[in-house]
Amino acid sequence: MTVFGLAVRTLRHRAGGFAAVFLAMVLGATILMAFASMLDIATGDVPGAARETLVIMATVVGGWGMLLVAFAVVSTLTLAVRQRAAEIALLKSVGATPAQLTRMIVGEAVALAVVSVALAVAPAALAGRGLLALLHDTGQVPADVGYAFGPIALAQGFGITLVASVAAAYITARRTTRVRVAESLVSAEVERPRMSKKRIVAGGLFLALGLDLAIVTVTAMRNAGQETMATAGQAAILASFGLAVLAPGLVRGAARLAGGVLERCGAAGDLALASLRGRTGQAASVVTPIILFTGIGTGTLYVQATENAVIARSGLAPEEGAETIETLNLVVIGMIVAFTALMLVNTLLAATAHRRREFGQLRLAGAAPGQVLGAVALEGAVLMVTGVLAGTVASVFTILPFTVARADALVPDGGPGIYAGTVAVAAALTLVTVVGATRRALRVPAVEAVAV
Amino acid sequence: MNTSMEEALRLEAVRRVYGSDGNRVTALDGVSLALPAGSFTAVMGPSGSGKSTLLQCAAGLDRPTEGRVYVDGAELAGGGEAALTRFRRERIGFVFQRFNLLPTLTVMQNVTLPLKLAGRRVDRRRARSILERVGLGDRLHHRPAELSGGQQQRVAIARALVTEPKVVFADEPTGALDTRSAREVLALLQESVRVYGRTIVMVTHDPVAASHADQVLFLADGRLVGRMAAPTAERVAEHMTRLGELVGV
Repeated sequence: MTVFGLAVRTLRHRAGGFAAVFLAMVLGATILMAFASMLDIATGDVPGAARETLVIMATVVGGWGMLLVAFAVVSTLTLAVRQRAAEIALLKSVGATPAQLTRMIVGEAVALAVVSVALAVAPAALAGRGLLALLHDTGQVPADVGYAFGPIALAQGFGITLVASVAAAYITARRTTRVRVAESLVSAEVERPRMSKKRIVAGGLFLALGLDLAIVTVTAMRNAGQETMATAGQAAILASFGLAVLAPGLVRGAARLAGGVLERCGAAGDLALASLRGRTGQAASVVTPIILFTGIGTGTLYVQATENAVIARSGLAPEEGAETIETLNLVVIGMIVAFTALMLVNTLLAATAHRRREFGQLRLAGAAPGQVLGAVALEGAVLMVTGVLAGTVASVFTILPFTVARADALVPDGGPGIYAGTVAVAAALTLVTVVGATRRALRVPAVEAVAV
Repeated sequence: MNTSMEEALRLEAVRRVYGSDGNRVTALDGVSLALPAGSFTAVMGPSGSGKSTLLQCAAGLDRPTEGRVYVDGAELAGGGEAALTRFRRERIGFVFQRFNLLPTLTVMQNVTLPLKLAGRRVDRRRARSILERVGLGDRLHHRPAELSGGQQQRVAIARALVTEPKVVFADEPTGALDTRSAREVLALLQESVRVYGRTIVMVTHDPVAASHADQVLFLADGRLVGRMAAPTAERVAEHMTRLGELVGV
């Protein structure tokens, strides 16, 4: 709880995007080091089977964790740097070269990363202990194997967080600093980005990899037992990443589709629509964690439900190692769901706090607080629906191939409750956070809010 | 002042005190004034004299600690922020130093926004004709960031006028503009008084800007300390210098 408390305090005092980056890094490093510490345990005196479990845990889960952390850092850092577009344009106009600006942005990211990892050590050791306790309880690791947090955890935590941060900062910095001064001064307030070719290619690549795994699941892995599950599970993760990369395009599509409805919702609808159109990048960074949450959460939960049902129907004893896979699955889903949920809240808080001035301007133009809330809630609803739909599509990459391969069916077991539950959580997190953060921003008198 | 004339704004013994018990700052110390409809008044004073507080209290953006404010004969509403908002949007328009246009909206959308927020019919033809009058008929679909400062301020004036408010409050409307744009903006404000019969209250520190008004009120230490009719820039500057010496700024 200390990490979260600290991050909340930081958010409160520096209500900017960098607090969000910081939180992403601390949480990310915590997850990375908690899993990497399984390798530290494995280097001790551990029996073969238990060692294998520990190594699988660290590499499989840790690998996905790494991607997720990199994604979260890129997403929040992009938001943070975009929120400073005006400052960067100003620096450029007084003679800062692109190289100097890149050094500045990368340098800040490195400083943040180092502090974050240092702060993550204690909670990571705690989480690692919890993970080991879970393995003890399920009998997969003997109770006499003690916890260790050592050089491997530290090296991986620092190494991966630092590399992800530097890479993310570098990509973001290049994108921002390459624009000419006049153009960036104009676009400081409103960006109208078209998706770059690189973005489309990257998104397409993730989707293609996801599709590839989906096809492999129904063909090569048809009767491969647990491995079917592992392969299928990764398809949704990859597809979610792909759709998250393409989020700006999704937001623009959603704005077009929802346009007709929003235009009939009075001033609040007009404002929501204008914001979706004029601030696609910010909106996309909110949609990203919703896609990951829904896609990965739904996919993994249905696969596990189907697997359990298939085993129950067959009347056979579960395959050897099925327990480990289930534990792994639950840990993955738990970790990813918790992480993306926090990223969602984190990103929304940062994005909304940054809009205080805009809210003040709206009120001075005659908007009652309720109208501002209405506009923001409508906008949040559109983003939520967009993210949930994209996440649902991504989860199909996992669910459909798996149920075909494992149960010869098109519909997974588990009933509609799992889906309804996931969507309800996504919706509640989005709307409660966005309305709460806006209410908070509205407490400042309008005149003060615009005098930034 | 001609008392038979319709009154647009009246302040009665308005006091505004900031801070809590140990650390009180009196920003306004019993200000009373009455402005007739169709007048153009500049409010001047050294920094810290209470100009901005006066404007915010008179415009319903802040609540006086004591005293009463009437706009167009109606007393400033009690109740919450929503009630104040309703009060403002029926009677008051704003022009700010930093424009405060919504960056995601086009010029046309910015100007029609107050009408939409008030749930009033959006008359695009009228909005367009106001924008033409301020010289931006060919910029309807541009965003604020694509306009110069002077153009943005003219959009803000069009937005302030579109609801046909009784009083337009302008807070340093020329503070961020070059001389030529400032002159254009001041001419527009004058025109809105002469042609449309609006009442304008403008806070400024610029004697040239103040000289465009019908009268100048001088404020020092939260009190009205002088009034000048038919001001010229030279006389206003001279008066301000004396005022500065008086309060030791």
